[in-house]
Amino acid sequence: MKKNKFLKENMGFLFIIPWLIGFLVFKAYPFASSLFYSFTDFHLFKGMSTFTLQNYLDVFQKPLELKALVVTFKYAFMTVPLKLVAALFIAYILNFKIKGVNFFRTAYYIPSILGGSVAIAVLWRALFKDDGLINGLLAIFHIPAVHFMSDPNWALFIICLLRVWQFGSAMVIFLAALKGVSVDLYEAASIDGAGKWRQFFSITVPLITPVIFYNLITQLVQAFQEFNGPFIITAGGPRNATTLMSLLIYNNAFKNYKMGKASAQAWVLFVILMAFTALSFWSQKHWVYYADEDGR
Amino acid sequence: MKKKVLAVLMTSVMAASVLVGCGGSAAPAAEAPAAEAAEEAPAEEEAPAEEAAEEPAAEVAAPAGDVDYEPCTIKFDWWGGDSRHEATQKAVEAFEAKYPGIEVEVNFGAWTDWETARALEYQAGNGSDVTQIGSNWIPDYDGDGKTFIDLNTVSDVLDLTQFNASDLEKCLDPVGQQAGVPISMTGRIFYWNKTTFDKAGIDYPKTIDELIEAGKTFQEVLGDEYYPLELGEYDRALFMSFYMQAKKGEPIILEDGTLNVTEEELADGLAFIQSLEDNHVIPTIATLAGDGNVTLNENPKFIDGRYAGVFEWDSAPLKYTSNIAEGQELVVGEELDFGEAVKGSSAKVSMAFAICASSQHPHEAAMLIQYLLNDPEGIMIMASERGVPASKIGFDTLNDAGQIDPLIAAAHEGVYAADPMFFSPRFDNGELKGDGAAYIDVFSGLSYGDYTVEDAASILFDAYSNVCE
Amino acid sequence: MANTQTKSLSQAEANLRRQRIISLVLRYTVLIVVGVIMLYPLVWMVGATFKNNNEIFTSMNPIPFNPTLDGYKAAMENYGGAINIWKAMLNTYSYVIPEVIFTIISSVLTAYGFGRFKFKGHDLLFSAMMAMLFLPQVVLNVPQYIMFNNFGWIGSRLYLPLVVPTLFATETYFIFMLIQFLRNVPKDLEEAASIDGCNVMQTLIQIIVPMLMPAIVSCALFKFMWSSNDFMGPLLYVNTPAKYPATIFVKLSMDSDAGFNWNKILALSLISILPSIIVFFAAQNQFVEGISAGGVKG
Repeated sequence: MKKNKFLKENMGFLFIIPWLIGFLVFKAYPFASSLFYSFTDFHLFKGMSTFTLQNYLDVFQKPLELKALVVTFKYAFMTVPLKLVAALFIAYILNFKIKGVNFFRTAYYIPSILGGSVAIAVLWRALFKDDGLINGLLAIFHIPAVHFMSDPNWALFIICLLRVWQFGSAMVIFLAALKGVSVDLYEAASIDGAGKWRQFFSITVPLITPVIFYNLITQLVQAFQEFNGPFIITAGGPRNATTLMSLLIYNNAFKNYKMGKASAQAWVLFVILMAFTALSFWSQKHWVYYADEDGR
Repeated sequence: MKKKVLAVLMTSVMAASVLVGCGGSAAPAAEAPAAEAAEEAPAEEEAPAEEAAEEPAAEVAAPAGDVDYEPCTIKFDWWGGDSRHEATQKAVEAFEAKYPGIEVEVNFGAWTDWETARALEYQAGNGSDVTQIGSNWIPDYDGDGKTFIDLNTVSDVLDLTQFNASDLEKCLDPVGQQAGVPISMTGRIFYWNKTTFDKAGIDYPKTIDELIEAGKTFQEVLGDEYYPLELGEYDRALFMSFYMQAKKGEPIILEDGTLNVTEEELADGLAFIQSLEDNHVIPTIATLAGDGNVTLNENPKFIDGRYAGVFEWDSAPLKYTSNIAEGQELVVGEELDFGEAVKGSSAKVSMAFAICASSQHPHEAAMLIQYLLNDPEGIMIMASERGVPASKIGFDTLNDAGQIDPLIAAAHEGVYAADPMFFSPRFDNGELKGDGAAYIDVFSGLSYGDYTVEDAASILFDAYSNVCE
Repeated sequence: MANTQTKSLSQAEANLRRQRIISLVLRYTVLIVVGVIMLYPLVWMVGATFKNNNEIFTSMNPIPFNPTLDGYKAAMENYGGAINIWKAMLNTYSYVIPEVIFTIISSVLTAYGFGRFKFKGHDLLFSAMMAMLFLPQVVLNVPQYIMFNNFGWIGSRLYLPLVVPTLFATETYFIFMLIQFLRNVPKDLEEAASIDGCNVMQTLIQIIVPMLMPAIVSCALFKFMWSSNDFMGPLLYVNTPAKYPATIFVKLSMDSDAGFNWNKILALSLISILPSIIVFFAAQNQFVEGISAGGVKG
């Protein structure tokens, strides 16, 4: 009986053992070493000579690094809401009975499959260059050409657009969640005479809040770690307008082998994301509805 | 098995020594400076050896001492494009056929992140036996001389006398060992779109004044969209070094790695580059970004002739000629004359072969390098896939066979006609060149008007100081 | 003729019908316009595989002006028999499929453990798991490389550095996602199952997994796509061309020094993403069917 109780209390622990092993073997060491490196001047080929806080100070003092931090915030706050709204809106429409729904779902997911493909780099530049397709379209409406690629104020926008365009993953997750919303609830609401939009906001949205919460956090994480867009399209330019933190980290770690510096930048990003996530988890109780919660 | 290998070897060595005749004179020449002595002789011996390409004849350039070897497996890696992959694989197969018992495992790929992957291998001590490196890899990864072996230790099979002493010197590591053997040398030179210049009614420029004049003519005759030259950030850095070196008469980074330029001189150089933009000689960085941030050979304005000048390595014109629109003709120019005693241009080791210190079979690895660079059989298969060979026998063999692309040959000749100075690998250090590094910051900042010439000079001077002694 | 009451009724009906038609038209308009924006790049890419470099850079028209098959011919290159696109794709899926299966199994177990049970250190471990999301992979690459090198896994013909970690639920994204979906599943069913005498494992397989099917299928799809697209991992850990996956193969000829033909690169990219498109197309109904099988309705 006692044994049984012990087992019952720790049953969950048994299920996470594989994860725990993976965590200790594959993650803990690289994690700890990157934290350690961040306080040193470790260079992969020149070794390390001193312990220092300089790497961290640099993030907030060196203009280039500070700019990267600011740009990363801008990018994340532009991309995440746009992407979530687009994904939810399209998922909502696709959830109706629609002819050729399979085709549309696949079509909308294709940009995500193309991902960081070299083809996207070629195309995106061709679309947004000074005499590109978009400016050609604007000209039809007598809108003067926009320097998407060369104007520091616009360049970040096209990187952001690339990610919004790739809303497929978020859409798929929303779709999976929407399918879980019982049809009965809609029918009940329909009889009550609630319009489609009211149904959406008063029934659908609350029911899928755990998944909205999931998408919010993961999209936030992905946005703060965004790398591909600037890497393949603008190379961080013009004038570092699209040099996001992850690009800086990549250049430091993989091109200049300044592991200490790269690690410190990564850990700054880590703390920021940690803070946002903690905040989100804390805010959950105000807006996220869980079916498994006690006393629901 | 081993006996048979030895027998084959002995016969081939004997055959080789008969054919070579004077080859033996190079045998003790471990040190590079002895190169001069052997300069002329082997070249003339080549033609017959090459015709008898059938089997054992080819051991020409190797010192006819021992080519004894153990059957083993060695690894060999390189980066490149399709034709280089294909040629090198064929050469490796021929090498395996020639030296039965040696198996070569190859690894090849594209440039993107290739350097990083190899650097991690070197660091972890599992680099390939023979590895293709860029010239800046030696100071970057072999600073302590422990990553690559000193090739002098294998000069019994790898004939270093085939290379210019000065070229070999460029592959010394900071502790003075021969870390690499140069595959090819390269320098920047100009290629001009003759069609556009004809349209403008002028000849392509040979002096800096003519170039600046061409900027005006282009604007007046052809319009604002036309420029006689295009320079990206890295191009600007190199062209500026030419300008400063012409004025000084010596390299701005010396062979021992000391910085040989003051902040004032840099300011003057930067002002010169800026004047090119102001005089409509080159498009602004913003214009280039607006073109889609593409490499020049993929820029429609180059393809249709609106950007009529290219400042590029002598080894790389074909990517331009293959993309340019029909009816446009690209010709090789010459290094520009700044009106000084020297032209200020420079040349560097384009790439080199090295043997990793972790190699269990440095002897056999050296044999592979020897085969690829100095053995007419290997030379003919490798052709000019890695540029114009630095090896004398390599160059002569290809040249006699007419295997060097005429455009590349002309460009290479143009580079050397200008008596190029030393091009320090430090120019290519990651803190200067590359995304977010100093060149991009300085030259785009200047072009966008974010920096004054003085700001830019100060930033660039600091960056140079960081990578120099 | 008709009396006023029926007239107003039919008018209301007509109004409703008109509203329906408007909303239907609106819906399809949105779907089609968005669809065009989504698909244009793929269409352009297909067209570009038939163009030469010159035309690729100078024209945005998806229809090739001088169609050529050179791109596809070149795409069939086999690098001295060492590797070709088909072999490369086989290589890709030879580790992607195990990765997907292992990831799903290990992630479902972990999510179940975290999502449905309380135990000592639960919250701490959960935080540790979430924290794994926040550090950019690129700074972990070097320590990981050194670690795998110590294990002797570099250049492993079984892609050990790529596959083995997936056995141990190293993909936090999926664990977190499954937990979120799990939390939306009422506990009633499990309680009922428990009363019926099911043990926890049976409950997981017979009750939870079917309920989570849409989420599991999404996880599998994402893992499939992401692993198929991974470039850096294989580049670091695979060092024989014969074992190269498609992502590396596609870029093999991209030499910025010598220049290269984009039609070949694009043709290869296109061929290599086709399986992903087909898999998605085929698997998407699982979102729908998974649910009815789980019997949430009612």
